[in-house]
Amino acid sequence: MEMKLEMDGTVAIVIASGSIDALTAPELANFINLQIQDGHTRLVADLAGVDYTSSAGLRVLLGAVKETRSKGGDLRLANIQPDVKKVLDLSGFTSILKHFPDRAAAIASYNG
Amino acid sequence: MSADTRKKVSIVIGSGGIKCAAAIGLVKVLEEADIPIDLVVGCSGGSMYAGLIAAGKSAEEMQERTIFLWTTEVMKDYTSNLKATQDGSLRFNERSGLVDDSVMNTRLEETFGQIFFENLKRPLLLVATDLMTGERVVLNKGSLFPAVRASLAIPIIMPPWEVDGALLVDGAAVDPLPVDVAIQEGADVIIAMGFMLSNRGRMRSMTAVQQQLNNIYMNNILRATYAFYNLAHHAEIFPILPDFEEPLGMFDTDKLPDIIARGEAAARAELPHIQRLLAA
Repeated sequence: MEMKLEMDGTVAIVIASGSIDALTAPELANFINLQIQDGHTRLVADLAGVDYTSSAGLRVLLGAVKETRSKGGDLRLANIQPDVKKVLDLSGFTSILKHFPDRAAAIASYNG
Repeated sequence: MSADTRKKVSIVIGSGGIKCAAAIGLVKVLEEADIPIDLVVGCSGGSMYAGLIAAGKSAEEMQERTIFLWTTEVMKDYTSNLKATQDGSLRFNERSGLVDDSVMNTRLEETFGQIFFENLKRPLLLVATDLMTGERVVLNKGSLFPAVRASLAIPIIMPPWEVDGALLVDGAAVDPLPVDVAIQEGADVIIAMGFMLSNRGRMRSMTAVQQQLNNIYMNNILRATYAFYNLAHHAEIFPILPDFEEPLGMFDTDKLPDIIARGEAAARAELPHIQRLLAA
């Protein structure tokens, strides 16, 4: 799994690609936690390159949402691929996480 | 990797009526890939397939049994009994169902009556609901017939089934995709095949509206329990969610090849992820 960070004003965009499962989830969790520790609490996870997530990935996303929201920020999702969307829908995550069709919309949501 | 150190794999087949036959495709994929199945858990329609899988039945046998069991005859007297309850000529109580279950019982008994939990190829747990208390009941002793019969007893439509003094109905009422049972049994990797109930396009009767509401409730129970199980435990859960473009009728056995193919396709999509985790 690959991860990189881009900034758009005060919004930090975590761009992830590959599969999120029990083996890769800790890497993603560490990467997101580092951004939060650096003071980036308005996060967008661009999931255009993520083709799969298991339960471990769901736990990472929820942990990040709780952490950022407790600091006045949020984690918002963009570009969710159909297979990942299916899992998020099934587990009710699309009801509690804000998600957008593309990165620009997710970034813009912080300015609304 | 020895059997002692490798991860314990469980498959869970949730409720979903005839869609549960997609489990035949799932098992085909897992067996071809030499993925071990250490535990089988089933609920409602999924109990039938869980039972057959645990007994080591072949894909061909499971298809034959599907056609034998999913027949309109199991709905004997449904319409006349429904009318009778509406005009008051048929009294209804906690032991009642709208269908005459004699055909269903005969066919289920023929299929499962001589198969016992204690002698299965793979350990099996089936889920039902205690109608009087609302509690989840896990069945794992004796003949499979009463367990399967209880687990798939759609409330109101099929009469409940009594097991050890408890009046049991469809496990889907409490646990439509019983991942929790696999977690409780210590599974490390849970391959969970689940099905959302389809929305009805048009509703022309009170019964149809009730059924649509029931589908909404059931889908929300599935989402809520699945979310909780995902977050509450470290076990890795691989959801296998076959795509069905059109709603399936309860007895659409003519669509069986397509149902199995969809189960197989959904399982193949998850297979690389399952293999990767098991190899780690």
